[in-house]
Amino acid sequence: MSLLRYVRRLNALQGHQHCRREVSSAPAKSATLKYDQDPQPLFTDSETQRLLQSMTQLQLDKVFRKRTVKDNRSETKFMTNEQLETEFLQIIEKAKHLLKMPPIVKIKQDTERIIAKDPALKDFATTKYVFTDITFGLPHSERKVVVRETDGTLAYASLDTTKRMNQLYFPLEGRKSYTPRMFAYEELLHKCLEEHKYEFVLDRLTVQYEPYETEFHNLSARVFEHLNESKQFDLLRSTRHFGPMAFFYAWHRCIDDLLYDMIRRDYLHNAVELIALTYKIHKIPVEYTETLAKLEALHPTPDVSALSELRGFLRRPEEKQGIEQEIQTAIGKTEQDFAADDISLKFIEEYIASEHSLKKVQLELAVQTLKEINLEKLQLFQGLKKAHGVQAS
Amino acid sequence: MNLASIRTICQTWKTSTLSSPFSIQPSLLPNIFLRNTSFFNKLPAEDIWRGVTAVSNAGKKRGRGKGSGKKVAKDLNKGQTIGLGKNNCIWPGLNSPIIRGNELVYQQKLSENLDRENGIFKLRDSLSNFRMVKLSSIDRGWSGSKMPGRSIGPPDTVGEEEFSSFDTRVLENKIVFIMKGNMGRKRRYSVLSVTGNGNGLGGFATVKAPEVRTALRKSKNRAGQKLINIDLCENRTIYHDFFTGFGKTKIYCFKKPEGYGLICHRAIQTICKVIGIKDLYAKIEGSTNLQHIVKAFIIGLMRQKSYQNIANETSLNIVEQRNARNGYTEIKAIAPISPVQETKKHAVDIMHFTLGNKIVLQKKATYPFYVDSKGHKLFQIKEERFRNQANVRLHKLVNFYG
Repeated sequence: MSLLRYVRRLNALQGHQHCRREVSSAPAKSATLKYDQDPQPLFTDSETQRLLQSMTQLQLDKVFRKRTVKDNRSETKFMTNEQLETEFLQIIEKAKHLLKMPPIVKIKQDTERIIAKDPALKDFATTKYVFTDITFGLPHSERKVVVRETDGTLAYASLDTTKRMNQLYFPLEGRKSYTPRMFAYEELLHKCLEEHKYEFVLDRLTVQYEPYETEFHNLSARVFEHLNESKQFDLLRSTRHFGPMAFFYAWHRCIDDLLYDMIRRDYLHNAVELIALTYKIHKIPVEYTETLAKLEALHPTPDVSALSELRGFLRRPEEKQGIEQEIQTAIGKTEQDFAADDISLKFIEEYIASEHSLKKVQLELAVQTLKEINLEKLQLFQGLKKAHGVQAS
Repeated sequence: MNLASIRTICQTWKTSTLSSPFSIQPSLLPNIFLRNTSFFNKLPAEDIWRGVTAVSNAGKKRGRGKGSGKKVAKDLNKGQTIGLGKNNCIWPGLNSPIIRGNELVYQQKLSENLDRENGIFKLRDSLSNFRMVKLSSIDRGWSGSKMPGRSIGPPDTVGEEEFSSFDTRVLENKIVFIMKGNMGRKRRYSVLSVTGNGNGLGGFATVKAPEVRTALRKSKNRAGQKLINIDLCENRTIYHDFFTGFGKTKIYCFKKPEGYGLICHRAIQTICKVIGIKDLYAKIEGSTNLQHIVKAFIIGLMRQKSYQNIANETSLNIVEQRNARNGYTEIKAIAPISPVQETKKHAVDIMHFTLGNKIVLQKKATYPFYVDSKGHKLFQIKEERFRNQANVRLHKLVNFYG
């Protein structure tokens, strides 16, 4: 039966062969923007990481969204409150793990490392011999692969060969030993990008290539460039690729579109962090640590806010909420948020006024609109508080 | 004897045999006895036909005439029109106008029409042949053209109540007998049907009537009057696994994920389709009496508890972890604050709770007899090297495609 199905699958494939010529064989274009220095020290810096994580946000609904899986079983369980509490912590840990960013490192150059030259072995065989250490449990980077050339030279294998051998003996799930067509042909890659399947492309890229490979840099840059044009940044928010994307824009000084998106969606603290990151990367002498510290005091980190969101589910509906709480949920902002917004807006306006911003008019307009909305909200907030007789703290 | 002589003999033989009956002229035969009274002109057509198509009462009691309904009385008048007959004639005023233009039409004999008679015979033949009605596969029920499983449309409108989104399906259609004081054994048709709107509303009814059609109609309309609301989980399945029974019928129903389908008895399948349940596994133990299955299943559906009710009863929170959401814990119901929870360190299994502490017997997988044989082991060893071949070939094709 399975054989029959397989034969049918093959036939279907062969049936499609007439479409072959539709896909042009042009290889994927290379990106225009490249990291000119080693970005790794700046990227792995703890402050940068914190900024990037904060910008990524942790929307549980996005991280744990419904996906197509082979086995979509579900399990219903009884849980006590304590069990739920530990479960919440585990969820946050899992989410943080899922949001771990792929590192940005410089491209590794292939160097020839000869171990020995044995002219006596010349023409011993007509082909090269590759020797691989297949000890169980070694990390891929430490696995030794050596090649005996036909001229008798014994040398460490090139990066390409090493990767291939690793994949051969210890296959990584999802990684192919050939270049996936999606990455090989410009037309197919372009199609993916046009359909805004950024996360899919980046996920597959992360599986297929190591972060130090040229293809990884090239293709991820292509995706980010395309994204900067289509401005669909929200597609990557709360995924592991948002951080590298923000870092890429900050490095190449093209944050304005992302900034505009953040202001428009009222993620002002993220906007501040993005600007601060740009200042940090390009060593622009603007004091940002103070503003960041202030904001940090007012704003919880993404995992803390996600945890409190989870704990919010546990609140019983019959439990009486304070009137203040009710007002806050109705407006969607707390007093702290308003205070934080003031600080962030000041910082953002400073940036817009400086020579570093490129799309001044657009950004100013966005800030102005947001200010008006915020003012209205604030007035409503205060009015409601007054009407309910809540003491202004 | 040469060839020509044989031919002549043959021909003469042919002509002699064929022409002999025609050569005798009836008028030449002496003393023909005519009997003008016969079976055919003494009895009315109805009685004569009954002789052919029906079985006598005594015969019926003995079980004769099982194929009744296959033989049908022919309407011999069909295809015949007044004025048109064996003799193709023009009868003014009967089959033609009396005056055509300015001329008077006279009676006139036309050439004989042979097709007419053939046509009538053909028509009669087609009347007599009983044919099973072929149903389109969409209208088909559980089996052939039998009623069970077939749709009989929505219940009839009552006043202003319309049942436009409803669909009724027959579950059982059988003949039942009762004894009457004056009529003896009386035959009736019993129809069990289920109706529903595919969105949580459903009802069923058993109705008896002397005719199949009336029974179907009455059962459909009665089912429409006895609707019950059944809450569907995520608009596709049941809230939790449950056990239900009626009489000797025991049913275990299990909640299943999206796309699982209905894996259960055909009656339960039909009920589910009509009500709107899409994913369910049900196992029947004991009697498979259809009426009992239907009652047991509907009772089970009605007895389902909402998550909040279960949480209140057990004072434990209820969560759902879906593989499709990477095991994310969705809170379904929160228990009221109570000191009981603190003592319950080991949370009970929700399946045990909803099945009423029953444990479903999971049979061990049975393997074919050859699994442990030497030959099979050898075969596996030989096959091992080809275990990935199909995949590799497929990927190769994919890779070189384009």
